[in-house]
Amino acid sequence: MQEFDLVVIGGGPAGIAAATAASNHNLNVLLIDERSTLGGQIYKRVGPGFEVKDSIKLGADYLRGEILIKSLSKSNAEIMLETTVLSVEDSQVIVVTADNKYDSIKYKKLLITPGAYDRPVVFPGWTLPGVITAGAAQSLVKTQRVLPGSRIFFAGSGPLALAFPAQLSKMGANIVGIIEAAPRPGFVKIFRIARSLRGNLDLIRDAFFYQFHLVKSRIRIQYGRIIVSANGTDRLESITYARVDKNWRPISGTEKTVPADTLCIGYGFFPSVELFKILNCEMSYDESRGGTVVQLDEWGSTSLPNVFGAGDGTGVSGSYVAILNGQIAALRIAYELDKISEKTLFNLSKSIRKEVNLRKKFQKAINHAYAVKSGIYQLASSETIICRCESIPLKDLLPIIESTSDFSVVKAYSRCGMGLCQGRNCQRQVSALIAAKHGLDLGKIPGTTPRFPAKPVLLGQIADSSIRDEKYFIDEQ
Amino acid sequence: MTSSFLPGYLDRKENLADLPKVTDVAIIGGGLLGTALAYYLSKFGIEVTLLERSDLNREASGTNAGSFHFQIALHQLTKNLTESEEKRLSDEVKLQLDAAILWDTLEKELDADLGVHFTGGFMVAETEEELKVLRDKQSIENKAGLETHVLTGDEMRSFAPYLAPDLSGIAYCPREGHANPLLVGPTYAFRAMELGAKIRTNCEVLKIEPLDNASPYRFKLKTSRGDISCNRLVNAGGAWTAELSAQLGIKHPMGLSGLHVNVTEPHEFFLKSMVQHIGRRLTLKQTPNNTFIIGGGWPSRTENYPRRYSNYWASAAGNVAVAVRVLPILKDVRLLRVWSGVWAYTKDFKPILGESEKVPGYHVAMVPTGFTLGPMVARTLAEYMHSPANKNIIPKEFSVDR
Ligand SMILES: Cc1cc2nc3c(=O)[nH]c(=O)nc-3n(C[C@H](O)[C@H](O)[C@H](O)COP(=O)(O)OP(=O)(O)OC[C@H]3O[C@@H](n4cnc5c(N)ncnc54)[C@H](O)[C@@H]3O)c2cc1C
Ligand SMILES: Cc1cc2nc3c(=O)[nH]c(=O)nc-3n(C[C@H](O)[C@H](O)[C@H](O)COP(=O)(O)OP(=O)(O)OC[C@H]3O[C@@H](n4cnc5c(N)ncnc54)[C@H](O)[C@@H]3O)c2cc1C
Repeated sequence: MQEFDLVVIGGGPAGIAAATAASNHNLNVLLIDERSTLGGQIYKRVGPGFEVKDSIKLGADYLRGEILIKSLSKSNAEIMLETTVLSVEDSQVIVVTADNKYDSIKYKKLLITPGAYDRPVVFPGWTLPGVITAGAAQSLVKTQRVLPGSRIFFAGSGPLALAFPAQLSKMGANIVGIIEAAPRPGFVKIFRIARSLRGNLDLIRDAFFYQFHLVKSRIRIQYGRIIVSANGTDRLESITYARVDKNWRPISGTEKTVPADTLCIGYGFFPSVELFKILNCEMSYDESRGGTVVQLDEWGSTSLPNVFGAGDGTGVSGSYVAILNGQIAALRIAYELDKISEKTLFNLSKSIRKEVNLRKKFQKAINHAYAVKSGIYQLASSETIICRCESIPLKDLLPIIESTSDFSVVKAYSRCGMGLCQGRNCQRQVSALIAAKHGLDLGKIPGTTPRFPAKPVLLGQIADSSIRDEKYFIDEQ
Repeated sequence: MTSSFLPGYLDRKENLADLPKVTDVAIIGGGLLGTALAYYLSKFGIEVTLLERSDLNREASGTNAGSFHFQIALHQLTKNLTESEEKRLSDEVKLQLDAAILWDTLEKELDADLGVHFTGGFMVAETEEELKVLRDKQSIENKAGLETHVLTGDEMRSFAPYLAPDLSGIAYCPREGHANPLLVGPTYAFRAMELGAKIRTNCEVLKIEPLDNASPYRFKLKTSRGDISCNRLVNAGGAWTAELSAQLGIKHPMGLSGLHVNVTEPHEFFLKSMVQHIGRRLTLKQTPNNTFIIGGGWPSRTENYPRRYSNYWASAAGNVAVAVRVLPILKDVRLLRVWSGVWAYTKDFKPILGESEKVPGYHVAMVPTGFTLGPMVARTLAEYMHSPANKNIIPKEFSVDR
């Protein structure tokens, strides 16, 4: 079995930055990612079969990603792509590789940087064809150069509510409307954000360009509006939105319906915490960073020895913070493996930490301005499907939630969360229903027990007939 | 059949209401044994209070595979089939047959859909030696009154074309089947409540105190929600049975083992019957939701309550390898999740059932193949508690003090 000083799970900005730094400090590093290219979510490369003639055309993110990836390829880190991590057990990472085999790889230190996924939002019609997450739309554009539709409506919140449509529109998409759930930023908010601007000019520049582009293209952002329903028989034909109160609950009588063939949903992200949970790391809850997050110390160390985390998978803080925290974790790991002295550790991490703090201040101000409100969990009607894998409508869940405050019990009786996505889409929604019904705190409602595998895997890929069951006779027990 | 019975209608307010100060019978444990016993006792008009430390049916009774084990399986075998072993196996088959008869009518009795299906069960053999075991066990089963058949060669291949064609043979028991383990216990509880039983959840029994003769009651239970006194006490604590009995100085010949279970994505339905293996750890079936549940006794990691036993990935890899070997089509089906449950067994594989002679009034209800046999042993215990004079309702070998 192979052994590495450091195994990094996830080849996004956090993982790449960490693997590069660790390798440059003479650690023997392996970076694993399930995709066929490096770059993670933001620096997603174009898919196979495409050739990039002019990378400048692909935008600043693409360039930044290219620089990061180049520095990694100059280092000695080993890279395994198309390799999915199924679990981590007993200082081994269990993977399925590109050639359909499973394998286990030993590590001295582990860094988990699995990124985030789009926050699922449940409202009538959310499962109609034509309704997609903004991230999925962006992936289509980034990897396949395909636009998702010809009349695209965007509903979301947060800084990306600006970025997504602007990026899509730059690619030639016809954006017919943008709604942002938060109110138009007032003076106090602008002041707060402005105060945190130091060191974040690039971010503001990005935002400015997006805004500028939208204005130029005559695309209007409507603030204080939320999606109410997606309408259509076999696929999306129109969408309805409404004004919201301060908790993001739609105000009845203010609904408006507009025709659209594509609805992009972008209400933020959930960290991908499966591996941290399988390992039984200490977790906590922070709605503004995506909900359930892993607890880290100032070095990115989890509650378990030798297990570290960085990037959006540890709580959504954006790609800049992801890179910096990846680097800090790499330094700490190099120090713990005696590759650098304590002095070097502190010297090198000091300037990075300074930048992290500036970035975080900005992120905090943004999170404050765009914090998700409880109304987002109250959009479903009684016929709305909550668990899309098992097609379970709200009305089937309500009587069960009446009798229990335990998500696992709801799951057992309804099959909600038992399908392909294993509750990634519905669990938070159901927990919110439980919280509302029983007057509990959403963050305190335990989810299901985390289990192997972190991602579905073919039985043929993991079947191993060399693992034998000892004979099982009762007089031998 | 009546429409699916939703345990969601269990009354949370009632379950969380204050404990009664006194009760005739107190049951510790809201698994299948505790809830079934609450039902059968209530049917006799006996006053019952059931105490469960979390929610109902969350331990073994809600994590098992829901299979009826009627034919003799790998875990019941010893290395050599001596005459006394044959007698033991024959007794076990008879017990299993009694259970089969109860399951035949349980949906009617409880007037609810419990997902009971008698779809037959296979026991496969890979080697000639294993085939011989199939034939030996068939003769014991048939003598005890259980119908089983052994098929080989083309006969086997045409009867079960989806199984690997190079198996040395299969046994088929038409009586076997399954029910939905997530419904049976809670339905018993619901019907028991209708008959007047008090069911209290989130109530952990912390201490059992025997009371002296001056008291009108025999036991006082200290619980996380206050005290309750009772005439008669039943320990239906599943994996925690021995821990509870130890408080009264009673030891049980029990062991615990964490069992691993795998579940796949749905696949077009084709596997009507459960499949087991006579030489390797495997139980395999396709559920009404079209998923496959694969288990059979692969180990999981012991953890302390309330943490759930965690899994070894190696158990998944080894367990599904046996499944793919027997049912090759499975190799292209995806594994979605594994889980584990704590299984309590007795070293002689017999139930622990009845009233203690050492501590009168103290009863135990525990049985290893507890999904298959649980309802039946609960009913037997209820019959005994209804007419305690009738000592021979419960076989001596099941003795609580053994
Ligand atoms: C859909 C989406 C779109 C976004 N768009 C923008 C944008 O336009 N502008 C912007 O500023 N920010 C955007 N963000 C935020 C930005 O992408 C993140 O802040 C940044 O990518 C975080 O970096 P990371 O390294 O933490 O995670 P990621 O970049 O997400 O990288 C994680 C990597 O881990 C891999 N991985 C995860 N689990 C496993 C496993 N079990 N086995 C193997 N590999 C695994 C994934 O394949 C992925 O490559 C977006 C985020 C998302 C989710
Ligand atoms: C993975 C697995 C698969 C199985 N597959 C099958 C199968 O296919 N067929 C079959 O026949 N059998 C099967 N079994 C066995 C069967 O599930 C058990 O034998 C049966 O469910 C036991 O029921 P029980 O009520 O005794 O125990 P449990 O269901 O464990 O109930 C005991 C209850 O007591 C409660 N309790 C314990 N201590 C206290 C206390 N101090 N205060 C209050 N409450 C307390 C617990 O919380 C628990 O709810 C399987 C078991 C496992 C684990």
